[in-house]
Parts: sequence; C-alpha cells; structure tokens
Amino acid sequence: MISRVADQCFWLGRYLERAESSARVLGVTRNLALDAGVNPRHAWLPVIIVSGEEERFLARFGAGAADEGERVQEYLTWDEENPCSIRRSLAAARDNARSIREVVSLEAWEALNALHLWVLSPRARAEWRDDRHSFYRRIRTSAQSLQGIVRGTMLHDDALHFIFLGVMLERAGQTSRILDVHHHAFRSIDAHDVIETALWLSLLRACSGFEPFMKLHRGRVSPDAVARFLVLEPLFPRSVRFSLRAAASRLERIRPPEEPALAGRESYERLRALAAWVGSKQRDFDTAGLHDLLTRVVDETSAIAGVLGRELFGQVPEVATGAQAQ
Amino acid sequence: MKITPSLFDGYAPLRGTWDELFTARGDKRPSFSKAIDAIAARSGAEFAACQALAERALMNQGVTFSVYSDQRGTEKIFPFCLVPRMISAEDWAQLERGLAQRVAALELFLDDLYGDQAIFRDGTVPGDLVLASKSWFPKLRGVRPPGGVRIHIAGIDLVRGPDGVFRVLEDNLRTPSGVSYVLENRIISKRVLPECMDAGRVRPVDVYPSRLADALRSVSPVDPSETTAVVLTPGPYNSAYFEHSFLARTMGLELVQAEDLFVEGDMVYCRTTRGPRRVHVVYRRTDETFLDPRVFRPDSLLGVPGIMGAWAKGNVTLANAPGNGVADDKAVYPFVPDIVRYYLSEEPILEQLPTWVCARDEDRRFVLEHMAELVVKAVDEAGGYGMLMGPQASAAEVEEFRRRVAAEPRKYIAQRRLELSTCPTWVEGKGRVEARRVDLRPYVLNGREGPWVLPGGLTRVALVEGSYVVNSSQGGGSKDTWVLKSEAS
Repeated sequence: MISRVADQCFWLGRYLERAESSARVLGVTRNLALDAGVNPRHAWLPVIIVSGEEERFLARFGAGAADEGERVQEYLTWDEENPCSIRRSLAAARDNARSIREVVSLEAWEALNALHLWVLSPRARAEWRDDRHSFYRRIRTSAQSLQGIVRGTMLHDDALHFIFLGVMLERAGQTSRILDVHHHAFRSIDAHDVIETALWLSLLRACSGFEPFMKLHRGRVSPDAVARFLVLEPLFPRSVRFSLRAAASRLERIRPPEEPALAGRESYERLRALAAWVGSKQRDFDTAGLHDLLTRVVDETSAIAGVLGRELFGQVPEVATGAQAQ
Repeated sequence: MKITPSLFDGYAPLRGTWDELFTARGDKRPSFSKAIDAIAARSGAEFAACQALAERALMNQGVTFSVYSDQRGTEKIFPFCLVPRMISAEDWAQLERGLAQRVAALELFLDDLYGDQAIFRDGTVPGDLVLASKSWFPKLRGVRPPGGVRIHIAGIDLVRGPDGVFRVLEDNLRTPSGVSYVLENRIISKRVLPECMDAGRVRPVDVYPSRLADALRSVSPVDPSETTAVVLTPGPYNSAYFEHSFLARTMGLELVQAEDLFVEGDMVYCRTTRGPRRVHVVYRRTDETFLDPRVFRPDSLLGVPGIMGAWAKGNVTLANAPGNGVADDKAVYPFVPDIVRYYLSEEPILEQLPTWVCARDEDRRFVLEHMAELVVKAVDEAGGYGMLMGPQASAAEVEEFRRRVAAEPRKYIAQRRLELSTCPTWVEGKGRVEARRVDLRPYVLNGREGPWVLPGGLTRVALVEGSYVVNSSQGGGSKDTWVLKSEAS
C-alpha cells in the first residue's frame, strides 16, 4: 500500500489508543484521589509524568499545580496546546482517518467522526462538568468500540494491520510508562499497607487489569505480582508482552519473513527481538530491575517507530511528517 | 373534495421567470405531475422533519467542504434542499446531444491549438485573443496526450431563461467539481423520499464512478486491464477533499498526494510499503499550475517534479490534460458556436448567452456605455468573484468596474443579466417552499469511445431570497436533479 497511507493508518491506531489510555488513567486517578486518602500530589503528578508533559505543564502552571486534580484533568482532556490531550488525540486520529477516507470503512469513519463532533460539542463539556465518570467512560468505550468496528467492517489487509500495529505499539509504551511511573512513586512514599494496596489496585484499574488479575491471583495483591502481571501475563491483552507480540505478528503479516527482500527487515527484527527479550524475563523477573526493563521497552518501541517511518512509511530521516507533527 | 394541507399549497412562481416544476399559472408541469404529487403528499411539518434528517445524515457522513478562511479547518455541509429539480426526458435528450457535441468540438479545438492552429488561419477565431489567455501554455504545444483525449471530465454550466431554453453559461474543462454531491444527494433522496423517486421514474446516477474509471483506463498508455490509476488530491485541507476521497473510494482507486508520487526515467511511480509501483493514469484534482514545479510554479509543494515530462513522453495519462484552461477561458466562450461549426460542420445544438468581448473595440464601447445594465465578468476568476452585477450595483461599484475594463479590456466580458429559472425550495425560517433561482451543471465523460453524459447533474440554488448567486461560497446550496425516464422506456 501507499507509504503515506500506511503511516496514517499507523498513527490513527496510535492516537486512538492514546485517547483511550488517557481517559482510563484520568478516570482511575480521580477515583483514587477521592477514595484512598492519598496525598493529591502522589495521585496527580504521576499522571502528568506518564503523559510526557511534566516539563511543559509545570513551566506553565508552576510546581504547585500538580496537586490540583482539576487543573491536571483539564490540561490532559481539553488543552489545545497539549498535543497529548484527549481532545487533540481524537482530532489527530480523526484527521488521519479523514486523509485516508478511501481506506477506512464508512462505518468506522462515521463512528470516529461522531465521537470527534461530540467532543467538540457543548454536550461533551456539560457531561464533563456534571458526570465526570460517565465522560471518561464514554471516551473509553467509544474508542474501544471503534477498534471493534474497524475489525468487523474493514478488509483484514495491510491497512488494518498497520492500524493495529499502531494500537499495539502505543499500548506497550503506555502500559510500560504507567507501571514505571507508579512503581517509582509508590516506593518513594512512606505509606502504610492499606494505602499501598489501594495504589496498586488503582494501577491495575488504570490498565483495565483489575478483574483479569483477580481471576488469576484469587485476590492476593502484592506489588511483585501486579508488576509481573502487567509486564508478562501472556493472556492479558494490555500486558507489555502481549502488546509487543501482537505488534510483531501484525508486522509479520504486513511483511512475511519468508520474503526477505521486502522493506521492513530492521523494524521486524528489532520488534521481534524486543518481544522475545521481554518474554525471557519470565524466568528471572525482579522488581528491582523493573525500571531498567520498562525504560528499555519505552526507548526501543519509540526507536522502532522511527525505523518503521524510514523503512515503510517513506520518511526521510529527521523530517517529521504531518501526521507525526500533529 | 378532500382538502389536506400539502407542501406546495400557495406556491407562487416568480413573475417573468421560468419555474422548473410549475407553469406561470401555478399548475404542475405535466411531465412531473406524478412526482410532484408524491412529494406534495407531505405537510410542511412532515417535510421539515425529512429535511432535518437529510442534513443530519450529511454531517455525520462527513459530506462536507472545508472553509478556507478558517485556519482551524472548519468543515461545513454544502446546504442541501430536499425538493428536487426535475428535467423531462425530451428536454434531457436535447441537452445530452448538445453537451456531447460541445465537448467533442472543444476537444478538437484544444488538439488544434496545441497542434497546427489551423483555426486561426481562416480567421474563425482571433488568434491574438485566444493566445493572450493566462491559461494558454505555449510550452505544451506539440504534446499529444496518451489515448488522444484531453477533456476526460467536463462540467458544463447551464442556465434556463424565461423562455424555458437552456443556455450554456460556462464550460469547465480543468478540474470540474461537484459530482460527489450529485451522488450523495441522490443517496439522501432515496433514503428520505423513496416513494417519490419511484413515482417519478428517475434515471439512476450511481453508474458515474464505474463509467469514470472505465474512461480513465481506456486512455491508459498500457493495456487497460494492466493499468494502475490513482486520484491525486492536494490534500485533506482542500475544499473539495471530500469529493476526491469519495471518487477514489467509489472507483476503488488509491487516493494519493503529491509526496506519494515520484518520477524516474520519465515514468511515474507511487511509494508503497513494498517499494515503488508504476502509475499509468492520474486523475489529478490539483490545479495544473501546481502540478509540476519544474514546469509551472517552482514554489508548489503540491506538485510532482518531472510529471509533465512523463506526460509529454506518453508514459502517464493526466486527466484532465494540462492546458485545457485556454478553451474554457471566458473570453474564448463567445466563439464556441463558431468552433462547433468549424470542426464539426454542424449547427450548435445548445444556445449560449450573447456576450460582449471587451477586447473588441466596438464591444468595449457598448459595455462602457451600458455598464449599469450588464453583468461584467473577469475572464480568469470563478466562484462568483470578480464580477459586477450592473443592475444591483451602486454607482461607485459601476464606476470602479468602468475603470478596470478601460485599463485591461482583455480581462473582461459582459452579458445581459439572465432571469435564472426557479425551483420550489424549502425555506427553513418560514417552514414552507418558495421560488429560488437555480442553475445546472451536467457532467460529461470522455474516453476512447467518445463523450457520455451523466443523466443528472448538480443543481445549485441561490438560497437567499432574490439572489442570483448560486456558489456555495456565497450562500448557495444544492438539490438533487431528477432526469426522468421517457414514457416509452
């Protein structure tokens, strides 16, 4: 398929996953801040850090602003100047889809367009004001059903594989970042067990992992078990390992390994190597090395996105495309 | 006698104009009687609900155009009126023949202009006037396009005067737009007024994309079955982007932007995830002056360097062919009847508006003296811009145009203001239908087998009361156009 179109499919998937992830993290953190008696700073600062917006946010609003849940939510949901805000992510997903209208199915386009129009409407603002929980839930479920519509209405050809390659790479990075930041924050606070358990449970919820975790662990929550679950659980669709494997298998369909002459060799090999390396941690998983492991995943997934750009999306190095600049 | 309120109760055609659906006395035109009855069965309130449904559907489907003046890329729906414009089978048969004839003649004219220029030798058309067109590209002279066709897609704007005669207002031979609205409007009519379509025996328009794809492949430099054709768009911020993606989608072709294409060894290739792929036919919706920075504007970012060279070598078909603009120049328009006679040795079937060409001394004198009665148009502007509506203009505006015409006569032509025909049109604020002025743009496709006319077209309507301007940028909307089947078929 056309390289630019592949690029826009990939970013459509990433932005969609990003919006969903942000909505989930914000919703969960809001509950945590309300319920567990946690210092607001310990609840909200990690959220800003996960989004990668720490520097800009603190520069604009001052160090104290990280305590203000409303300010953080406003910034990460609505802010026009924050490229990671939910509004901007959805607009970017929709812009990418609009540029490839002939590729995206009509039903997927209409659903995404309707979501985008809703977010811009006064009704969305009203729901945000009157029923925050329902607002975040709507973003989350709309983004999830969109992925379902894509799967259920489009040809399962390269366009769809590129969309889910984007979804899965974004997801691997998001889960890694969420886990890394929270793990670090939890260890640095001197909390007693009850609060610490609440924090780990909220972390699971932020990754939609609460119920799956409980099914596998029968209610026994420990920091090690949660971290292990989020990194390694092969059956949990948001674990780092699952996401990387899924991404690698999409790329395998786009570029079958038995056709080595096709473009994309380096992307494929690095992605497969990363997935295998994370899988190998099964044997000697240790939370002491967690930060290093997650940092490597975050750095390597972003490097692989760069290699994909060069090998498959026809980008000249160091020139960001419109899709990425958004 | 049963009396129920119906949509057209109290509808009054404007005095001195032709109404498309009703006679001057207010009776239904007999050809449309069944279809009108079917529509009239709705009350105003019922119709308002249908109209709202139609608008919502268009917005959610993203059937929109971008508004240039808005930096943030606001999109609007092209206002749509659900009351259709109808054309009888007899009228259409005549239009169809006339349009095919006109396009065939303009095709020969372009071929001659970029070839021997025989037409200038016997003085049928003044060469100095034609060659002074901004859209005449001398460096393209001698190039024969692959497949021998230049006007693959034409949009010919027609208006209908008080006498009921259709006349050509202008030709669009470069990148005529609007056909996607024809097809989308029809989808909406079918959804919202199904029984009326049925009663009216309306000819289908949905064959257009496959006819277009066939026409494009028929003029490929290689075998049509081996041909890769693409649609080239300036990008999603172009006002007609919806249409570009619509056509690509409905033809099953890929929609490309300039950055997706490159030229090597005078061949055009597309960058794909599996390496370069040769492209044979480009339906380009990029303006020709932006098409190739090596030949036209060097600052163009929308262009593909070298694509003109590939075209000149016969390795890629560009539709429409670059250079067509000289034949739809408003200053050339007055000579089209002569052009038809010259190349086809036939009388033109379609009439057109009497036109004064300001480049001619006698005409210019007349125009300067009668400016306040005339419509004066700049030859190189479109979309209703650069135009003086004499009868409605202030003295200062008339004076301003008098100065402009005297300074640059080649740039202007003048016509009498035509009483455009009207059609019943839904007026939101009043909750009823009133007469509003309309025009018509039929589409003609031209491949190896010659011209084919889509049985339908874009009816644009001036939604503002009393207005003559149908352009979407200035308060215009559109209607579905129903060409009816003949009784025999």
